[in-house]
Amino acid sequence: MSWNEFPFIAIPACLLWLAAGLLACRRAQTRRTVWLVDALAIGGIVLFALFIGSFWNALSRPPLRTMGETRLWYALFLTLVGYVTYRRWHYPWLLLLSAVAATAFTAINILKPEIHSIALMPALQSFLFIPHVIIYIIAYALFGVATLAAAALLVQRRKNAVNQELFAFVDNLVYIGFGFLALGLLLGAFWAKEAWGHYWTWDPKETLAFITGAAYLAYIHLRLQGRQDSLVIWALPIAFALLLLSWFGTTLFPGSSLHLYS
Amino acid sequence: MTRKLWQFPWGYPESALFVAGIALAGFLLQLTVGYFDFALLHYPGNLIALAILAGLVALAVRFQYTAAVRWIAGIPFAVTLTVGLLLLALYMELTPQLPRPPSQSPDLASRLGFRAVTSSWPFVLLYGMTLIALGITTFRRLIRFSRQDISFICNHLGLFVFLVSSGFGAADMFRVVMHVETRNTEWRVFNKNSEALELPIAITLNRFTMEEYPPSLTILDRQKTPQDPPENKKPSEGEFFQIDPKRPEGQLGDWGITLDEYLHTAVRINGEYRVNPMPESTPAAKITARNRLTGETKTGWVCSGGNIPEYFSALPLDERHILVMSQPEPKRFASDITIIPQGGAPISTVLEVNKPVAVGDWMIYQYGYEKTLGKMSPWSEMELVYDPWLLPAQIGMGLMAFGALLLAWNGAGKRRSFR
Repeated sequence: MSWNEFPFIAIPACLLWLAAGLLACRRAQTRRTVWLVDALAIGGIVLFALFIGSFWNALSRPPLRTMGETRLWYALFLTLVGYVTYRRWHYPWLLLLSAVAATAFTAINILKPEIHSIALMPALQSFLFIPHVIIYIIAYALFGVATLAAAALLVQRRKNAVNQELFAFVDNLVYIGFGFLALGLLLGAFWAKEAWGHYWTWDPKETLAFITGAAYLAYIHLRLQGRQDSLVIWALPIAFALLLLSWFGTTLFPGSSLHLYS
Repeated sequence: MTRKLWQFPWGYPESALFVAGIALAGFLLQLTVGYFDFALLHYPGNLIALAILAGLVALAVRFQYTAAVRWIAGIPFAVTLTVGLLLLALYMELTPQLPRPPSQSPDLASRLGFRAVTSSWPFVLLYGMTLIALGITTFRRLIRFSRQDISFICNHLGLFVFLVSSGFGAADMFRVVMHVETRNTEWRVFNKNSEALELPIAITLNRFTMEEYPPSLTILDRQKTPQDPPENKKPSEGEFFQIDPKRPEGQLGDWGITLDEYLHTAVRINGEYRVNPMPESTPAAKITARNRLTGETKTGWVCSGGNIPEYFSALPLDERHILVMSQPEPKRFASDITIIPQGGAPISTVLEVNKPVAVGDWMIYQYGYEKTLGKMSPWSEMELVYDPWLLPAQIGMGLMAFGALLLAWNGAGKRRSFR
């Protein structure tokens, strides 16, 4: 399958995710609706994953090179993380929000289809390519969910009713996300040494990766003292804005980057 | 009870003022002596700096219960330092940076070190302060090791070891590009002034090889580029049709494209394309294009020509438009080489991107080739990197990777307060 067939898979998948999110947020939950939410969410995730798999096969290379291709994985992991956290911590609104966000990312790919291209430059032909990008995208998805939850915390903070359980859950997501972020960065550094002879060169994407990492590190350390003022909560949306900049914004800044391929 | 400024225990206001003070000292140093000279950290300078760092950390760990050490190893100072470095990095991201500090600094931004932030005094001082604070924090915890601290130790000690080896090792790192012609042996590298430097390693290039991807097709408008022959113009906009034998049909503008025949290594003999794996061979495709509005059908061979202009062929679609093929992109390129280390046995190997070869403290990388000639390139370039601090840097990265795995596994669950 290719970008030509993408809408025929993506639109049903998004509808399944949104239906699961809406159904989960309904007040009256019966055993049947709970079962139906599971079926809809998993159905959407499996459908989307099948597309990525067959797209990979058609390209004869992993679909991780272009922006549109990374958005595919983001939509997949965002809904996956949203679903797992909904099941594990019972936040139905998180399932809905992650479905909306994943739909937005999918819509960009439908409205701005990319050109079919099977070329993968030699520098990217490394066993580290797939784990480097996928681990980063998982970190982005975890931080995305943490940011949605932080927005809820900011609303609660205004009403002076911060849910401590939710705050602990946000911290947990940030810790796990930071673990993935650090792993993605280290794999990238290790790979850069194999490919270019230096593990760190302050390439614009690397500088932004440092900035993003430093911002989440600041949040983690701020929270170690148990602070929960709105300044600390605001660190999360700010860090996520920097993250989005490092993901999409590398072309906006001066300096040539090794991380631009298409 | 309210605490006055500079009254212990210090918190965020003192930390912010202290970090701002370091940055200010850095800017003053920058204005007076210019960019930081990394030659100062050449061996043995880096070992002396390391000894000073170790002494400071040891001293602080000895007096670890004083309010000053608690502050320097504490969270407010760590957060403030992180934010300080973050702001410098943000500035670095938003403005053009020079790869090396400029020898002359005409404008204020340059005199303040903003043209090459990583070589500027404020950055170097904040980096050094980070090493001191991180070192104290780490070793304070390390001497009272508890199993719960494994994640903490891996993350902090790993970062410390990594920052020490990459910071202090930067000056000892040496990288050069060696240019070798096919069937020649080279042991020298040349600088901009064509001065030769002899290396302890010689390299013989036996053969340079390249594999290519099938190219793309695109439609060019002849009226837009009247003076440029289309074979010299790289199509930069418009749509492309990727030649992919798995998907022989597609669409380009108003034209339906069918790939009738594809020869990956074609040569042109008497106007006919034939398969022949000669070095100058290039992809050629027989295409049928059908206009979906008029139903008009055109069939013919399309070829970019590769390195041989006589191989070029385009398919005229109408009076204005022609169908052309792009130059193929490299899939894999490699140098079949023999490495002769000084006083060692020769090593025969194939060097390619992502597969460097280690010889002692040197790493040898496939670097470049003559791009205009592609697979017919008569030479290959190899980058030789000497990095004696690589092993400790990799140990630091390994520790951090283990720490990151623990973070991802444990989440925020297990934390131990430490005073």
